[in-house]
Amino acid sequence: MVGIDPKIKRGSGELAILALLNQQPSHGYEISKRIAQQTGGILQFNLASLYPLLYRLEKRGWVKGKWEEAKSGRKRRYYHLTRAGKKQLAPLREEWALFFRALHRIAGVANAG
Amino acid sequence: MLDNRGLVKKRLGEMGLGPRREEEILRELGDHLEDHADELGACGVARKEALREALNSVSDWPALRSEIILAETEEATMNHRTKVLWLPALCTLTLTNALLPVLHFAGFLPHFYWLSRGMSMGPFFTFYVPWLIALPFIGAGTAFWSQRAGGGVPHRLVAALAPAIIWLGIFLIILPLSLVLDRHVPLTLRLGAFVTYVVSWVLLPSIALLIGTAPFLRKPQPQS
Repeated sequence: MVGIDPKIKRGSGELAILALLNQQPSHGYEISKRIAQQTGGILQFNLASLYPLLYRLEKRGWVKGKWEEAKSGRKRRYYHLTRAGKKQLAPLREEWALFFRALHRIAGVANAG
Repeated sequence: MLDNRGLVKKRLGEMGLGPRREEEILRELGDHLEDHADELGACGVARKEALREALNSVSDWPALRSEIILAETEEATMNHRTKVLWLPALCTLTLTNALLPVLHFAGFLPHFYWLSRGMSMGPFFTFYVPWLIALPFIGAGTAFWSQRAGGGVPHRLVAALAPAIIWLGIFLIILPLSLVLDRHVPLTLRLGAFVTYVVSWVLLPSIALLIGTAPFLRKPQPQS
């Protein structure tokens, strides 16, 4: 089975996380599970690949982490999409769509959308 | 009870991010390990084995430590606004100003048109045509830079128009100051100078910069 190069995964991770958090706030583990679930396991983030990305997005002000009580009763750090993060979603989507269109032209890679 | 936070701390060590932030990171990563181990446990894996497997999901802890430090410090030293606005704006300002003596040295001279006909004194317009021709390219480069860095339309616009905005600010300060400091020059002459300077160094450069910036001012359409 063909795996996804970590560099590609990292680049696409920003969009994946922002899009997920746009649906609902989630904590780190939940984010990694939801990404795996929604991409059919093609895109997987573990502790090492997820958190540096989340911290980077938080530093940019695109997401905000808050300690909140989870359903289990334990306090978890939930990430929320900020207004700045919401603003980033459309251009990021456009950028990736453009990228796929370009790849499609040159290499016959079909747009996932 | 196993202390996941302690297990993470043992592997990451001190990161120099401040005690509060480090504690938060250790706690969060510890929680992640806990969830991972819980999930494995639900599949029948023994607790100790589940935790070991969760820890082993990170193949390179020193690399993770470096990644976290980089993520925490890189963005802090150069925050988003710096990247999308201040840096492109500063670069445009420097480039537009540096271009003037370069063009002058290369033999391209500006044209002067005095406000009062037949006079070689008093307020005058300055038309530096080669410089104005270069400005759309600078404006386009700045807007593109800001866009690539993730800047919105206002960021791209302000960064590209930074030289004109700053010159306007300077002229707006100079005029009232000159009214206070030098009372011998007639007011009409000063206002005339203000108008000619604004047209020559703010209005025309703004138009030229905007021409280059325009293609980058479209908002991407949201995907359906």
